[in-house]
Amino acid sequence: MLTVSHIKKQYQRSVVLNDISFEVPQGVIVGVIGPNGAGKSTLLKIITGFEQSDGGHILFEQKKLATLDDKMALFSYMPEHLDLYPDWYLSDFIDFIKETTQYKNDDLLEKLGLVSVKNKKIAHLSKGYRQRLKLFVALSNSKPIVVLDEPFDGFDPIQLETMLEVIKKEKGNNRSFLISIHQLSDAEKICDYFVLLSEGLVVTQGGIEELRQQFGSENATLEQIFMAALR
Amino acid sequence: MKKELLLFTKELRALFFSKAAVLFLIILSLLTGYSFYSAVSLYSNASVSAIGNPLYAAGFEPVPGLFVPLFGGLFLLFSLFLPFVVIPLIVSEKEQNTLTFLLQIPFSITEILMAKVAAATLFLLTSFVVMMPATLIWWMYGGHIPLGELALLHAGYLLYGLFVIAVSLFSASLFSNSATASLLSIFLITFSWVIDFGRDMNISPLLLTLSEWTTTRMLHLFESAVFSSSALFYFLTISLVFFLLTRIFFAIKPSLSWVISLAVSLVFGVFITLFFDYSFDMSESHKHSFPPHITAALQQLPPVDVSVYLRRSDSRFKDYEATVIERVHLVKSDLNITMMHGEILDEKYGLFIYKVGDKTVETYSNSEDEIFPLLFELAGIAGGVGVEEEPFPGYPLVVNQDKLIWISLIYYLLIPLLFFAIFIIRKRETKRRLSL
Repeated sequence: MLTVSHIKKQYQRSVVLNDISFEVPQGVIVGVIGPNGAGKSTLLKIITGFEQSDGGHILFEQKKLATLDDKMALFSYMPEHLDLYPDWYLSDFIDFIKETTQYKNDDLLEKLGLVSVKNKKIAHLSKGYRQRLKLFVALSNSKPIVVLDEPFDGFDPIQLETMLEVIKKEKGNNRSFLISIHQLSDAEKICDYFVLLSEGLVVTQGGIEELRQQFGSENATLEQIFMAALR
Repeated sequence: MKKELLLFTKELRALFFSKAAVLFLIILSLLTGYSFYSAVSLYSNASVSAIGNPLYAAGFEPVPGLFVPLFGGLFLLFSLFLPFVVIPLIVSEKEQNTLTFLLQIPFSITEILMAKVAAATLFLLTSFVVMMPATLIWWMYGGHIPLGELALLHAGYLLYGLFVIAVSLFSASLFSNSATASLLSIFLITFSWVIDFGRDMNISPLLLTLSEWTTTRMLHLFESAVFSSSALFYFLTISLVFFLLTRIFFAIKPSLSWVISLAVSLVFGVFITLFFDYSFDMSESHKHSFPPHITAALQQLPPVDVSVYLRRSDSRFKDYEATVIERVHLVKSDLNITMMHGEILDEKYGLFIYKVGDKTVETYSNSEDEIFPLLFELAGIAGGVGVEEEPFPGYPLVVNQDKLIWISLIYYLLIPLLFFAIFIIRKRETKRRLSL
């Protein structure tokens, strides 16, 4: 189990994250939700080691993850802003990933629909296909925790269903997911547990039923819960 | 394939297929063609009157007369253009955020940087390949190839190129913007030009001391066919320091162990540069050394202090520096020069005062033929007798104007077309794949 414990971050005098704590159990999809500027991306960067925190710890199985190497062995991270080598042909890039990571499974490529565009340059792919490629990069390894920052941007509803299926299948392989999503309807479809961030604070957290009991009626949507929590 | 090799191939591809690299190589070809054509014409014209005149012919040496002017273009390109080719290797990773991807493969920051340094070094060597036909053409014209001097010249430019790469990568590690990083690296690279200018203008004693340790000064030793271990360690140290600074600033979290490595390298590098100064004259004409009996006598001399009543910009001092100071320093490090200034300089202008132990002697001559007998007499050393060496014959060469067409053909047409063709073939490859 991954434990995020009392994470703090500030830029000069502006507090971006204030005492953030939650857990990511094995085989569970945790969604970090919140309005723009809530600190979601910064939190994911700190957890994966790409940014330094000003306080707090990240633990896995109660053991502190001190170095970047510790974190690289554990996390597969897909940042929101990642412009993968636009001058490369997709087939060359996929070969590069396969050869460097020893990844052999072509099923994932098929499911993500990347085989049909493999002769294109990455720069010539649509936003949706580039998102799929980023997802392929994040999933083409066997690291136990996958961290995705806004992975569903640029997908139409049909593509989204396929992506959700792919992620659910990976979850079935006992992998944990930590996903930041601003589209609450998408988050509700896939996440088992929610951490609601606003202005650098955890406003609330829990499973959908738990949140419904706390903030709304039995049939309240995540969006209604979200609005109620922020009021 | 090993994953480190794949990473290196990725960097090679990013570097060699970039528009900046292709443009760099085409400009290098055109500039080399121009420099070579001019140098051969001048050398050839001057050689006409040297044929059959052994005294005049002895002044014709291919490296200073031809190859150093030829490498002048490379010096400008390395200093002002190479940063634009190297900097994107790091800045593009920052702009595209692909470092997060590479670190997860996982490659370490050190592996990523080493792949970039290796690719940039290979690009540096490609620049020498572009220069190579000039040597071949010169040989085909019947020109003399002084292998040792030429190898030393290449080694000097390779070291200078490594320094430029190190500074460029360091600048790129500080900024996420290519323009800002390029400006900083060009400032750092050309800083030694400013010091040299200050030295020539005799602006301050500090600039004078600093000017002994500029990159241009060190490179000049390689151009002059003087192998100097100090110059070698100097380039290796400053390059290593900038590579380590790059490693420190490129990392997500600064690491104390790398800061310690930097401090140790700096101290060790400075120490070895200052205290292991082994130099020797590699010129075929032995222009930087003296006959063995003079060398032996100079080495017997106790420390010599010289007060020079000349301005640095004075041509007599420049002659004295080139023919006496630099040559004596190759066999004797305790020749101490003091440049006089103020009113006393004007009063005794032109005078040299030599002090050996408690004895002094004055002379207005800046010629070794006058100075050495005075010094040997002052120290009571018999140093004037010995066997003179065979005089250097010199290598004048008159090249028929018609033959110069080869230079134009190769450098203005063939090589630029070759690079352009590679660029076009890559474009066509894109279209071919898209049509599949």
